[in-house]
Amino acid sequence: MAFSTTIYNAVFRRNSVYVSTIFVGAFGFAVGYDKAVTAVWDRWNAGKQWKDIRHKYVTEGGSEDDE
Amino acid sequence: MAFNASKKAFTLAPTLRSLPNGVPAAPLLNLNAKAAPGGHHDHHSGVLGPRADTAPRWAGGVSTGPSGLVSKTIVGSPRVSLFQQRTMHTSAVAKEAPQVPDYTPYRASNTSTNRAFSYFMVGSLGVLSASFAKSTVSEFLVTMAASADVLALAKVEVELASIPEGKNVVIKWRGKPVFIRHRTQSEIEEARKENWKTFRDPQSDEDRTKKPEWLIMLGVCTHLGCVPIGEAGDFGGWFCPCHGSHYDISGRTRKGPAPLNLEVPEYSFNDADGKVVIG
Repeated sequence: MAFSTTIYNAVFRRNSVYVSTIFVGAFGFAVGYDKAVTAVWDRWNAGKQWKDIRHKYVTEGGSEDDE
Repeated sequence: MAFNASKKAFTLAPTLRSLPNGVPAAPLLNLNAKAAPGGHHDHHSGVLGPRADTAPRWAGGVSTGPSGLVSKTIVGSPRVSLFQQRTMHTSAVAKEAPQVPDYTPYRASNTSTNRAFSYFMVGSLGVLSASFAKSTVSEFLVTMAASADVLALAKVEVELASIPEGKNVVIKWRGKPVFIRHRTQSEIEEARKENWKTFRDPQSDEDRTKKPEWLIMLGVCTHLGCVPIGEAGDFGGWFCPCHGSHYDISGRTRKGPAPLNLEVPEYSFNDADGKVVIG
């Protein structure tokens, strides 16, 4: 059986399965999109954010007035 | 095209065409003969004009040439008036039967691929729409929440060691007074031995405190928002002077118009520093 027929029978044939797949896919898409955009942002602003320079100012266990 | 009358054998294409004057185009028929004067057209009172029913001159006629009498009949004469040639037109050509083009090269060899692709594209649009709708709603709701800097400023730390047992402390938190009571053991027992299920706003003392000796609650009367007075009232707790609501040592409403117990804010203890963080 061809791939298209397989996926049609698995997902598209029943509307309940189809809509559920769409919602699950929307959730996954949102997570993936968020991760991708965050990764791009972090790469673009590498070395500028607090999490990148925190180690210069905060020493672990020290009683510095951090944050 | 002209021909001599002596040439007899002649073949012409059959025609059903009528001449503009209604005469059938019959090439071998000489219709140009003049009527005899004084014939039955006599009632025209001597007017001998050309006959009205004769073929026009361009259709041929009889003439005398050098070789004798010549009868000319012009075949394929120019078409006039009713018969117009159209060199450019947009009208469809009438066909005997509808001729359907051959679409075989355009047909999909495997329709299940097209079907799955169509459903996939529709589903992809659905995925994007659902994601967009979800983020629209959630981002709108986020605008209603306090921002992180506001929340960071909205916490209050209180040194617990500075509050002796059996004393009240009133501090300001987010513009409202907060009562902190360091309860004695007898007060704790008093608050816990009551049958709280019969109260107006039934709530146990265990639900209202994280540590029994520390009672932390908003100092705003639940009736109309006055600030109750501590260590007053019939139940040894708080008393609201505005309309006479009495609260017990656990901050529960016991008497008067107040409908609810004094509200307990979110707080947490920082045992290492001996502080309580409200907010």
